[in-house]
Amino acid sequence: MATSFKSLESGRDSVVTRNLLHEAIPITGTIVSGTYADENIKEFSHGMFQSVYDYPYLSSSANHIFDLTCGYSADSVLSGTGYPAAAQQDKKINIYNQMAQVLVGFDENGAVRRFDEDGDLTDGTKIKDAYFFNFTRLLSKDEIKKGSFTLSLGMNNTYATPFSSLVSVTDYSGSNGYKVNSPAGEYGILYATGSALVGGDVTPDGNGNVKAGLLYYQAGIAVITSSLFQGLLGTDAQMNSAGEDSEAVLTGSSINLNADSIRHRINNISFNNTTELNSTVYFCRVNNTDFNYSANPTYVSSSKMVVKTNSQDLPVSYVTAVGLYSPDNELLAVAKLSEPLKKDPSTEFTLRVRLDY
Amino acid sequence: MGFLDNSGDIILDAVLTDLGRKRLSEGNGRFRITKFALSDDEIDYGLYDKNHPSGSAYYDLNILQTPVLESFTNNMSSMKSRLLSYSRDDLLYLPVILANTNSDAQPFYSSLNTYLVLVDQTTVDALTTDNNSLVAGIFNGFEPQKGLNHIQADQGLDTTELSNEISLADEDDTLVETQYFVQIDNRLGNLRSLTSTQFSPSSIDDDNIATYIFAEADDTGVVSSAATGASSIISGPRGSRIQFKIAASLDTKTSTFLFDQIGTPGTSAITSGTKTLNAANYRFIDSTVRISGVSTGYTLDIPIRFVKKTS
Repeated sequence: MATSFKSLESGRDSVVTRNLLHEAIPITGTIVSGTYADENIKEFSHGMFQSVYDYPYLSSSANHIFDLTCGYSADSVLSGTGYPAAAQQDKKINIYNQMAQVLVGFDENGAVRRFDEDGDLTDGTKIKDAYFFNFTRLLSKDEIKKGSFTLSLGMNNTYATPFSSLVSVTDYSGSNGYKVNSPAGEYGILYATGSALVGGDVTPDGNGNVKAGLLYYQAGIAVITSSLFQGLLGTDAQMNSAGEDSEAVLTGSSINLNADSIRHRINNISFNNTTELNSTVYFCRVNNTDFNYSANPTYVSSSKMVVKTNSQDLPVSYVTAVGLYSPDNELLAVAKLSEPLKKDPSTEFTLRVRLDY
Repeated sequence: MGFLDNSGDIILDAVLTDLGRKRLSEGNGRFRITKFALSDDEIDYGLYDKNHPSGSAYYDLNILQTPVLESFTNNMSSMKSRLLSYSRDDLLYLPVILANTNSDAQPFYSSLNTYLVLVDQTTVDALTTDNNSLVAGIFNGFEPQKGLNHIQADQGLDTTELSNEISLADEDDTLVETQYFVQIDNRLGNLRSLTSTQFSPSSIDDDNIATYIFAEADDTGVVSSAATGASSIISGPRGSRIQFKIAASLDTKTSTFLFDQIGTPGTSAITSGTKTLNAANYRFIDSTVRISGVSTGYTLDIPIRFVKKTS
């Protein structure tokens, strides 16, 4: 009996594989602030966050790349009576609580935990005032690759010339030092390094690093402590043209103005994303006796095979595609070869067909 | 020391067809890959030069240089000609399937080289006063039980080099097709037996293409063995014959929507006996019925035209 299908044996002719695909994502600071005169910055009437696009957002070519927002904990000094001119205080507290609820979770009493600078939720210094960088799924894909994140910030204290002194914020230990006690997946500690940190409140460790925030890999969110701009620096950074420091802007200005002040100091952001590819590889085993003839209408002329002169000649066919079929003979997937592949009774091969999900 | 040849194992990236995506999204286990087939859609075997002066290594030079297109994701557009496995290497002739359009069988409608399917009573009445007597090539799709016209395709070795006095089954029964897929646009029509028994398709894909499966062993009478002495378009040994009628779908019978949407105004008058349906008075939809041999893989597309009187 002639046949044009060959069965795939369950367990023998297919295997499931998992591959991680990485892409390098560079975001230059001039896109974030400068090149498009803020036409790529979208603000919303609710004022809860600011969206950054890679092109003026009214264009259909624009891609949403990340959001910026800020907030502080209800028990932060910034929410206290010492800051009577607080702007959008409720919204900032709401933002902090929302992010903390999702990224840090709840304690045994059902209360929202606060961000912890070293990931030890039982103790230690909490990050009570923070800026949040929420990278879109378009950029972060399944997760940010551990150990690949770098946020370069201009930390010169003068507002007009921020980039004359740079601080680099990285998760350099992320590839082997990440934490797993978050409900939002794995996260790493962000460390800042740069000469501007000399003379700050915290003495850098032997590698010149100071803890500066947290990076949630699967969530694609970087949490940067506000003290990076005031306290950790030798000289506090001016966050706006009026020369106000971080605490003053965090409390006295809207979330949008805070986002503006952060964008003003972003020099570069880069990381590698990760896409998890689950594949099934089907081993299409073509034995020497298989598929040596064709049902192609040009294969015969008056029913006589055009590739043979007499019956002793070996039949020959040329493969250009592999089709994967269901039990009811419906074509579910197809793979093409780059060039015709000769098949005759003297050859046999295995075509490995990979189907990605 | 030379390197070992590592070209024996080839990895290819597959793409899901539209039907594959649909079944995957259904999540009911219907996305299950259990078999594979190979095809050579782009290959023109006419380029195989058995007389090349430089020898056999050059016979397929032009074929091997054939550029290959990227995958089509429409499941109906790929894998149209599949490669075949036969247990013998010494075959010189392969069977084909041909529409039996001989004048003493089921010829096309005279001038159009297609079959016409009249979809409603109004259209039938425009071309006959007796439902049973439409000229050759015109089917009563409204009431397929009336009239004798139908589609007939024969399978076998279409060559005069072999006698048609011998049966293909006697020559080599592996060349006889005993099971067929028949595909038709389910929006337009469906299949009936010659006695007008209605069939249910085995599947309907995302593009509304219905697939029917008929076998010689089933009791539908659609597939039968082709007798050696019978009239046939096959010149040599005959294998099997498939024949069926086409009924118009409910949509085409009762609505003009599809004729307005994908149809065309008539371009020439249709005549049956003494009656004529003028071009200005009807619309039509051109489609095909695809017949494929399950084991021999040969595929035949038969053109059909659904006709509806509109004024």
